[in-house]
Amino acid sequence: MKSSILRAGVVALACALGLSACGGGSGDLYLTGAVYNVTKDGLVLTNNGEDLAVTTPYTSFQFSNRISTDDQFDIKVKSVPSNVASVDDCKVNNGKARANYYTIAQINVTCTIRKRALTASINNLTGSGLVLINGSDKQTVPAGTKTWPMAPVNEDGAYGVTVLTQPTGQTCTVSGGSSGNGAGIMGAVETTTVTVTCA
Amino acid sequence: MKFSLARPALACAVLATLAACGGGGKATFPINVTVAGLQYPGLVLSTNGQDLAVNPPAKAGDDVTATFPNEIEYGQTYEVVPKGAVVTNHVAVGGSQPKHQQCSATPFPAYGTAGQLAKISIRFACAIQTYPLGGKVVGLTGTGLVLANGSTTGTISVPPALDANQKPTGADVTLTMNQVPYNTTYGVTVLTQPTGQTCTVAGGANGTGGGTMDDAAEAATPQGVSNLVVTCK
Repeated sequence: MKSSILRAGVVALACALGLSACGGGSGDLYLTGAVYNVTKDGLVLTNNGEDLAVTTPYTSFQFSNRISTDDQFDIKVKSVPSNVASVDDCKVNNGKARANYYTIAQINVTCTIRKRALTASINNLTGSGLVLINGSDKQTVPAGTKTWPMAPVNEDGAYGVTVLTQPTGQTCTVSGGSSGNGAGIMGAVETTTVTVTCA
Repeated sequence: MKFSLARPALACAVLATLAACGGGGKATFPINVTVAGLQYPGLVLSTNGQDLAVNPPAKAGDDVTATFPNEIEYGQTYEVVPKGAVVTNHVAVGGSQPKHQQCSATPFPAYGTAGQLAKISIRFACAIQTYPLGGKVVGLTGTGLVLANGSTTGTISVPPALDANQKPTGADVTLTMNQVPYNTTYGVTVLTQPTGQTCTVAGGANGTGGGTMDDAAEAATPQGVSNLVVTCK
């Protein structure tokens, strides 16, 4: 009695699996996921021997080999873009599991881009109240300051330092940076300096 | 042997559960709410004729938990929304939101029937409101203009206006930067000058393309900052 129930169950399960596995290729499930914080070529993922380069616009990936329900997948980072310090800075979340419709919908890869120092070199600041901004980064700079660190900026990312509030009795202008006006793209060197001149 | 003990125990548990539902009046369910990311006062949630004011946590970043004053009975439906919100197909729009923020039910729906799940626990998450930052680009004839709001939220390429023959006309071009959250500074700069021209940024709260997305910007009509002028010569 017991074994006949068991047998029927196994047969039903096998049928279900068999049906879900139809669709051509080696399986019917695409191994896909979202990609966060990748801005350039260089990220290569690997799963059970298949390598996959993540290409523009760097927001998702999909392995070519389809997999079947219950196949084990184990996605690892093989190499990272040049603006990511090491393979450990790109994390695969939920990258190892047995495949089913739930597990293959939970995967993402999130990278942390290397930060570079952005420094303001300040000339002749005698007044108080100077506020420098780089977008949402806001820095109040006291009188007499010669250099001031802005918040670090993503390598290969844009920056643009401007004066939010002029100091009392002076007008400051921003120059330097790779665009010459206090703006630019953060390079791969350790520090970038913009110049703030007050008169 | 083991099973023979387990089975009566299970039967007993089932009976106990049934008794809890049937005997001695209906079971009641508290409506518990957890709100994440709340920073400003003003959120009032409402369901089943009850209101629940939710205030920011004592320690910034903590979740706030609260429970509606009255429990509801088994089988009663509930739908927790910001008080006064217009609800269409369980999507709540407007209502009593906190200042400078927008809260919504996530990741689970905020409606159901008491008894459907063992507990009613509603989760809301609040995000800081963002407002538009824009204006116009004047006199642009060259290609390649790229503007940035410092290192924040990417860069914006602005092509010149073209006539029917694909020739630049120099007409004003609408400028739409990425939105800026409340109480955050913005400073628009020229990252790349267009070919053959030099552009300068004016406008914003400080007149040179910078400012803070503050109460004045929030109260403006239209909301946000719309007076940026990038002049190219």
